Amino acid sequence: MNLPDTTRREFLHRASGGFGSVALAGLWNDLQGAPLNPLVARQGHHLAKADRVIFLYSTGGVSHVDTFNHRPRLTVDHAKSVTASRWLNKTGQYKRYLIKPRWAFQQYGESGTWVSDLFPQLGSVIDDICVFNAMHCESDGHDKATLAAHTGSAQFARPSAGSWVSYGLGTQNQNLPSFMVLAPAAPYAGAQTWGSDFLPACHQGTQVVPGKNPLPNIRPRVARPELQKMELDLLARLNRTHRKARAADQALDARIRSFETAFGMQREAPEAFDLSGETEATLKLYGLERGATSGFGWQCLVARRLAERGVRFLELIDVGSNSNWDSHGNMADHARLARAIDRPIAGLLTDLKQRGMLERTLVVWTTEFGRTPFNTNANHAGREHHNFCFSSWMAGGGIRGGHVHGTSDEHGILTDQDAVHTHDFNATMLHLLGIDHERLTYRHAGRDFRLTDVHGEVIHDVIA
Amino acid sequence: MRILTITGLVLFFAPTTSIEAADDSRDLFESRIRPLLIKHCLACHGPKKQESGLRLDSRSGWVKGGDRGTSIVPGKARDSLLIKAVSHVDPSLKMPPAGKLSTTEIADLSKWVRLGAFDPRTPTAGASSPKGMSLEQAKRFWSLQPIVLPTAPKVSDPAWSSVPIDSFVRSRLKEHDLEPVTVADKRTLIRRATFDLTGLPPTPAEIDAFLDDDSPEAFKTVVERLLDSPAYGERWGRHWLDVARYADTAGDGADYPVREAYKYRDWVIAAFNRDMPFDQFVREQIAGDILARRNAMDDPDRYADQVSATGFLAIGKRYGYKASPDYQYLDFADVIDSVGRSLMGLSLGCARCHDHKYDPVSAADYYALYGILQSTKWAFPGGEEQKRPAHFPPMVPPQQVAVLEKARAAELARFDVRLSNLKRRRMKLDPDRQAGGVDLGFESQKSGQRPGTPWVCSGPIEITTEAQSPFHHVHPKGSLGVRIGSGKPTDGLRYVFKDGLQATPGQLMHFTVDFRSVAGSPEKGAFRFYLGRGVVQSLAVECSATATTFAIRNGKNWETIRPIVPGTWYTLRLTIDPAKKTYSGIVGTPNDLVTFQDKSVGRGWDGIVNCFICDAYGHINGPACSRDLDNIGLQDEPFVAPGSRTVAPKRPVPGAEKQKVAIAKEIESLTAQRQVRAAKPAYEVAYGVSEATPVNARIQLRGEPHRLGKETPRRFLEVLGGDRLPENVAGSGRLELAGWITRRTNPLTARVFVNRIWRWHFGQGLVSTPSDFGARGERPSHPQLLDWLAARFIASGWSVKSLHRSIMGSRTYQLGSHDDGRNLQIDPENRWHWRFARRPLDAESIRDAMLVLGGHLDRTVPQEHPFPPVHTWGFTIHHPFHAVYNSNHRSVYLMVQRNRRHPYLALFDAADPNQSVASRQPTTTPTQALYLMNSSFVHTQAAGFAKRLLSSHADAETRVRVAFELAHGRLPETSQLKAAVAFVTGYQKKLPENSADPERHLSAWSALMRVLLTSNAFLYVD
Repeated sequence: MNLPDTTRREFLHRASGGFGSVALAGLWNDLQGAPLNPLVARQGHHLAKADRVIFLYSTGGVSHVDTFNHRPRLTVDHAKSVTASRWLNKTGQYKRYLIKPRWAFQQYGESGTWVSDLFPQLGSVIDDICVFNAMHCESDGHDKATLAAHTGSAQFARPSAGSWVSYGLGTQNQNLPSFMVLAPAAPYAGAQTWGSDFLPACHQGTQVVPGKNPLPNIRPRVARPELQKMELDLLARLNRTHRKARAADQALDARIRSFETAFGMQREAPEAFDLSGETEATLKLYGLERGATSGFGWQCLVARRLAERGVRFLELIDVGSNSNWDSHGNMADHARLARAIDRPIAGLLTDLKQRGMLERTLVVWTTEFGRTPFNTNANHAGREHHNFCFSSWMAGGGIRGGHVHGTSDEHGILTDQDAVHTHDFNATMLHLLGIDHERLTYRHAGRDFRLTDVHGEVIHDVIA
Repeated sequence: MRILTITGLVLFFAPTTSIEAADDSRDLFESRIRPLLIKHCLACHGPKKQESGLRLDSRSGWVKGGDRGTSIVPGKARDSLLIKAVSHVDPSLKMPPAGKLSTTEIADLSKWVRLGAFDPRTPTAGASSPKGMSLEQAKRFWSLQPIVLPTAPKVSDPAWSSVPIDSFVRSRLKEHDLEPVTVADKRTLIRRATFDLTGLPPTPAEIDAFLDDDSPEAFKTVVERLLDSPAYGERWGRHWLDVARYADTAGDGADYPVREAYKYRDWVIAAFNRDMPFDQFVREQIAGDILARRNAMDDPDRYADQVSATGFLAIGKRYGYKASPDYQYLDFADVIDSVGRSLMGLSLGCARCHDHKYDPVSAADYYALYGILQSTKWAFPGGEEQKRPAHFPPMVPPQQVAVLEKARAAELARFDVRLSNLKRRRMKLDPDRQAGGVDLGFESQKSGQRPGTPWVCSGPIEITTEAQSPFHHVHPKGSLGVRIGSGKPTDGLRYVFKDGLQATPGQLMHFTVDFRSVAGSPEKGAFRFYLGRGVVQSLAVECSATATTFAIRNGKNWETIRPIVPGTWYTLRLTIDPAKKTYSGIVGTPNDLVTFQDKSVGRGWDGIVNCFICDAYGHINGPACSRDLDNIGLQDEPFVAPGSRTVAPKRPVPGAEKQKVAIAKEIESLTAQRQVRAAKPAYEVAYGVSEATPVNARIQLRGEPHRLGKETPRRFLEVLGGDRLPENVAGSGRLELAGWITRRTNPLTARVFVNRIWRWHFGQGLVSTPSDFGARGERPSHPQLLDWLAARFIASGWSVKSLHRSIMGSRTYQLGSHDDGRNLQIDPENRWHWRFARRPLDAESIRDAMLVLGGHLDRTVPQEHPFPPVHTWGFTIHHPFHAVYNSNHRSVYLMVQRNRRHPYLALFDAADPNQSVASRQPTTTPTQALYLMNSSFVHTQAAGFAKRLLSSHADAETRVRVAFELAHGRLPETSQLKAAVAFVTGYQKKLPENSADPERHLSAWSALMRVLLTSNAFLYVD
């Protein structure tokens, strides 16, 4: 066989570097077949609690003190001044005024977790959710923080988390891409957010744009399926003849197989996107009108259907790089944005649970950073970027539901106990998938790269 | 009001009672401090990691300290960095990063330090940080050994002994007990060589010529023909563009388009086509601008080329929002790493934050190069905060810059003369436009009211019959003028001339106004007449008058010209000479005129007059007297002498309307032409670099630009000689750097490049990590062969085409790609070259070959990309630039966007332009298959292919034979031929009945072409 540069030895070296000899012996003892399908499903380093990830990403920076981080003192101290050490990306001493949350908080579920009135539906499933209230990251710029949340690097192009998971675990359904991104519009930093960078391109995210034709080239152009079948039959025949004198080259097989898979995808992918078989009750759960082909409800329901079909990593982009949660001018906009995702996400969790899938599906919700609990005056309607403290959550897939991890100071300005950096968050996500984040590496440009760079601690406290 | 302090709280130094119980230092350390350090500090400052070089797991660790020096001064909490860090007093040093310690913990630490920082811990064994290669070790490292031309080993096999490359390969094969397969057949060989050198399939005529050529030189002839083809540069230039991380957009958050990027791309293609010596190729990419200036006299034609070559440095991913040094450390990180990896196989990027852990590259090396880049001026592509490109170097020598700018100015001026002539003609056709505008005699205003449109006024002001001037040599005799009362200095009257005057060679500007100070007005201050562009945006002439004197401004100074008498009307006439920047005039009554001459216009006047103002900013401060104004005029013809005639009331010129329309049309078209010309720069610019003020950089501790260490002189890498720039060197040092990189004593540059060429020919390098020749890279499979190639390469004058000839002339290159069971067991990866490795076509080759076969390939070099015009650019991270431009040109010319990949190129594994790519990683995915089955591109090309066949050959079997040869380079086997013909017949039968015969015919043949274009015989090269 010939894989230019990525020789078998190198490949196995990488694979074994990534997973140790157990996985190698278990899955890849067939040396001839080993490297040819990098997407073949594999086990991780340890027993996984989750098989797949649905990664929900709210673009723009969601205010933590208006959603999941209940800080009563912020209301009490409204209009009092604080000294901020940074303002609009400049360090210094700035006198700023605290602004109370616009929405009231209530306790939900048996756990009594506080959630604001922005997310009443999420409140109803809060016992499945573990809220992280002491998230922090380095950057308060959209594109850098978005890249950091996805790739572990705020600065340089690196593979996305979904690509790492695909590289590490392969995928369970060869008729669908391993990493799919349901995105009406690109987030900040564009497709770099789901790029595979130096990992093989088969691990890059495949963007699905909500609408009537969500995947490019999925619809046959020939008039009848039997005509396409004829073409593929002749193709197979020519390839067989070609193959005779090249028996040892499995790359040729892989290409032949890819057409078979693609033929399957033509059927399977539209099926996954076809919601006509869903019951009224299910559609209602997601807040979806029958016949709709866009909206976050559509993204969530399609995500469930793709998860059912074995896609390893699904990312759902909430909104995109404009008209998003970036409420500098008026926080009231958060209400519109929350309404658009509250029911769909709650519906997704409920639906996964009732189908027995939530246990093995890790659902993650995050955003690039929070928003300042203060502003230049107490009457200011907006909030600025705030990366020192924000909120995210995880649910399902081995997560300790109804738990709140990490606290901030009384105003939500700085993290206090159990702070969680983006690297820790990613390390934990990989851990639940059975991957040791320090051992999932790839040799590139003279060193071994990994999603968490040289950082990251698994947060065991959030694991059930 | 309660003040909550986020940073800067120093309360914690106050003694607390919390630890009074711990009465002994040892107890305090063991009970509080040791666990605290373990819990919060040692993960990053212990045996596993030493962030900032600091260890806190032993006394000697914190005594030595990290980047910022010793961490603890026993007995002095306030002076101890550790305590400062945990107290968050310094915004740049806040520990632990995950969140502040509790008040008690901070108090404990402070107390411990105050009590002398008792610490019984000693350094643990095996805890030292990984040691990199020392310079001594580096001198023995294989890739840093001098290149010596090795003697080819003796091999007994005569077929393998005529070419040294073969001898090296054969002897290694023998060592591994491998028998090479036989050479490839001629059809395989020509398809391999043609795709390899040009990225296109051979034509049947080319195949026939090769088959018919029985001479021993036959293959050589093919290689020479291919090397001479312009398609060669398009193919091999693309290889280099992978390494050079080429893209047409900047890669910042808003991904600004770079209109000039293509010039670097085209320079690379041309350089390969004319076999530019590789050392020169490198020198021009690093210092082309400097070389260009040196040779500008001898070789002006090459100037533009050499400046374009520096695109290599500029074309990396950009990080900044504006042209400022804020993000430059990131841009430079890309440049230094790319230069290191692409040219020398060294990962220099690691040394940004620390001395390299494996390779002999120090942070000092990194910042020595950094200084060279900092001494360079970088083209700025545009970004969110500064949305226009800047600092693009001119592609003409400096002396020509001035000449061309002048020529352009002259050309624009010619447009201006024509335009102003037209406007004057139009003006004369319009009775209302007398003397430069509408209602300059105030006759259409209403008496007793404030002046309305087109006048702008403020303060006490009124149209009145009392302000009618007695003069009528400019405007017909009327009945109204304007009276301006005394008010604030800003109060007064303004008029903007619709067709103002612009400095036009050979033409003077003329202005007139009648005025008087109102009798009995007691104020002593002066009123002023302003003439210039806009509301005092660019002053041409100022005059000023009190109730009793009239003055003008001469440059900086006011000069009194004459006395005036309140209640008496005067007429003022000015003549401006824009070329001389002077003006002259007369002021007075017809019998009492005073003249003045050659007075200086306002300094910095831009040559435009389109605004008249009368306010009270005159030569004497204080409230100005009331004054009357009338009969204002501005034109480029002289006004007649006062009192010399009486202007009759205006009557429309016959046929004026028609003429005006025609003139307006002409003005419109001329204005558009002028705009086009004005938008074009005086000279071409490139996306590259130029020289800036030379400066040495300071080391950035841990790669953080605000934590500066000591200054590093600009110099080359220590391990490659460490040459410093000569004392008092004038430039950035790029020219010297280019020399150091390409000198013969640097063993890396030639080795790395010949290995790349080998890798692009064979799909696998002799060193399988082409951009890493360091400790972490792979060792060469054939070290002697590598050195032989490198030595010969240098000896040939760094000729890339000679290298191709050597390699392609070898038996090693011409081997078949057949299987061999025994060899496969021993060497499944073909590391020892017992056969030629089969390869998939890359993205560009698939697309270009399909375009050729479909009859749609446009072989011309396209013009620049159709980016939106620069004046419309407003891209932000919220609304980044994004475009996909369709074209039928070769794929190397497609617009390559950084942040959103080209959908086709990304799908078929083309290089990701975010960084230097040594080896593309081919993948085989179902989404590629979907593209091949269902994309409109493949269907279009297949249909074009079918149409060509249908029109050129009548017989089905002939068509099939030709199609196979075109697509696969060989004729079909009989069974394939039969199957193909049967397929067409069968397919046609199954097509819907409602379509016409020729249409069904074409559909069926198109279907067959799709099969041929997506089969493995097409997609792979043996």
